[in-house]
Amino acid sequence: MYRYDEFDHRFVTERVAEFRDQVSRRLTGALNEAEFKPLRLMNGLYLQLHAYMLRVAIPYGSLDARQMRMLAHIAETWDKGYGHFTTRQNIQFNWPKLKDVPDILDALASVEMHAIQTSGNCIRNVTSDPYAGLAPEEIEDPRITAEILRQWSSLHPEFTFLGRKFKIAVTGSEHDRAAIKVHDIGLQIVKDDSGETGYRVLVGGGLGRTPMIGKVIRDFLPKADLLPYVEAVLRVYNLHGRRDNKYKARIKILVHETGIDEFRAQVEAEFTSMDRDSVAAPDDEMARIAAYFALPDLAEKPDAPVEVERMKKLDPDFAQWVTRNTYPHRVPGHVAATISLKPIGGAPGDATAEQMRAMADLAERFSADELRITHEQNVVLPHVAIGDLYKVYRGLAAIGLDAPNKGLVTDIIACPGLDYCALATARSIPVAQAVSKRFASNARQREIGPLSIKISGCINACGHHHIGHIGILGLDKAGVESYQITLGGESTEEAALGDRTGPGFGYDEVPDVVEKIVETYLAVRDGPRETFLQTYRRIGMEPFKEALYAPAH
Amino acid sequence: MAKEFKPVVVTANDLIEGDSVFLSAQGWVRDIARAHVAYDADAAQALEADGLAGETANIVIGPYLVEVLLATGHPVPVLRREQIRADGVPTIPVGLDAQPVERAAA
Repeated sequence: MYRYDEFDHRFVTERVAEFRDQVSRRLTGALNEAEFKPLRLMNGLYLQLHAYMLRVAIPYGSLDARQMRMLAHIAETWDKGYGHFTTRQNIQFNWPKLKDVPDILDALASVEMHAIQTSGNCIRNVTSDPYAGLAPEEIEDPRITAEILRQWSSLHPEFTFLGRKFKIAVTGSEHDRAAIKVHDIGLQIVKDDSGETGYRVLVGGGLGRTPMIGKVIRDFLPKADLLPYVEAVLRVYNLHGRRDNKYKARIKILVHETGIDEFRAQVEAEFTSMDRDSVAAPDDEMARIAAYFALPDLAEKPDAPVEVERMKKLDPDFAQWVTRNTYPHRVPGHVAATISLKPIGGAPGDATAEQMRAMADLAERFSADELRITHEQNVVLPHVAIGDLYKVYRGLAAIGLDAPNKGLVTDIIACPGLDYCALATARSIPVAQAVSKRFASNARQREIGPLSIKISGCINACGHHHIGHIGILGLDKAGVESYQITLGGESTEEAALGDRTGPGFGYDEVPDVVEKIVETYLAVRDGPRETFLQTYRRIGMEPFKEALYAPAH
Repeated sequence: MAKEFKPVVVTANDLIEGDSVFLSAQGWVRDIARAHVAYDADAAQALEADGLAGETANIVIGPYLVEVLLATGHPVPVLRREQIRADGVPTIPVGLDAQPVERAAA
């Protein structure tokens, strides 16, 4: 885990003091809302339907038990006892009062956290692979790159007022668990023919109202050129990106309208002419940062301890949890264990203070004091000995977070939607809950196999619906909630945008619609090993359309 | 043809708490049932001005008019979004309220 140095501490503390003064001036009326709004947004404070909302950065989704406990403390002391983990690997508190926010930020600063750049037209929290540092196939821990980018981008004077927000994701593995193809910049750590480590750089991906898959701008970028090259991309965007229309202001529009070849030429020209040495991270600083991300000292252990194998036979749900919710670890005898924040009928991504504390305790006892938040709104214990899995599972069962559903039909991503969000046009959470309840049976979920459902409550696509195998987009049609369905989206290295099935459906119809899609898949799949996505890619939209729209006989 | 006028109330968010509030005869209140209703365009304009005065006085943020129905004798917003805002909470049990119920159901 990265630890703040003296500079980081001072930077965050001074920022909290500055915001405390700004809040104080707002409360006395010395600042009006027009003056205050950009200041609060720079500190992650939104105004939503029912209350303010504070979005706290969790850099690349990594945190330790002490930090998770502080989030629990904040939830209990200044909120309503729970928080919402987001698709940007952050946490949102839904009910803070303006007068309390400086105290919340002080509490966060005491555990090396903040809410800076979680909003506004700046470079947002850099996201990464929840299995960073432990995945056996990984070339290099992407969090090192993410931390270098975080430090470089924090209050970067040139990029604090971009045309629009800017999101970067990094993966260190070929198998992309960070959705890099739908980011403004996606970085994949690769090796070239000579064995040198560097980056494959993508640019111009994104979701929202104009979804696009990122394009390769550099096949191989030497590591030392990371910051100069990213800075060159940002400079070209900052210079030429549109500012006259916020809906056309993201870099994806610029890349699309300029063409990737011309955009690449402009970036290369900037990169060539700039003073790269003054921008690049010094070697000793990169080494200092890298040292923080060394794998914890884990002793090799047996891969299949007798006791765990016995419990798998006795408890089928535990066996399914091990199959679905764990991932191989580079140290033998260990796994990464996913805590699903998708209990049947729950609000996706929500956790109570009690659950946060319990997860912190489990991390401390069984996972080298580390937790990861995933962009799928789950939590990962990254370093669990296989021999401890049943204890972890029982600990999770005690707080209702033992759902063995990672990657299955009830592991639904959903934005807060119209239950909280001022921008939303329809509800998301109750739709997710209804679908989750419909598919509650573990046996049925197993039979269906890998299937991602992603729900957004408006066209801004915070629920990533475009890249769900089944995407659900809630819209307002003349005052009534209506849900558009897309099929075939995907977030990994095989990223694809879903295709619309046709006219939308009513709020109450969505579980039946999902059920018809699933039944169609089960009826036509080429055996149980063919996944929903493979089937969709093989047979296309027509059979699903037929099932959804053909008149009943 | 001119759009038919629908009765309106004025709503905003409270500066300190952030929650939805409505202008009533007793000032800004949480309960839309107590909200002052404007029944014609002139009254609506006056109500909107009163709302803006609340913002100028640093009591509320972002006042705007909301169309309401009065079938029940109390103002009820026409739009789903405004109905949810007026309720002051999400449409489903959340946080501490959600957990025990949902766990039992599962």
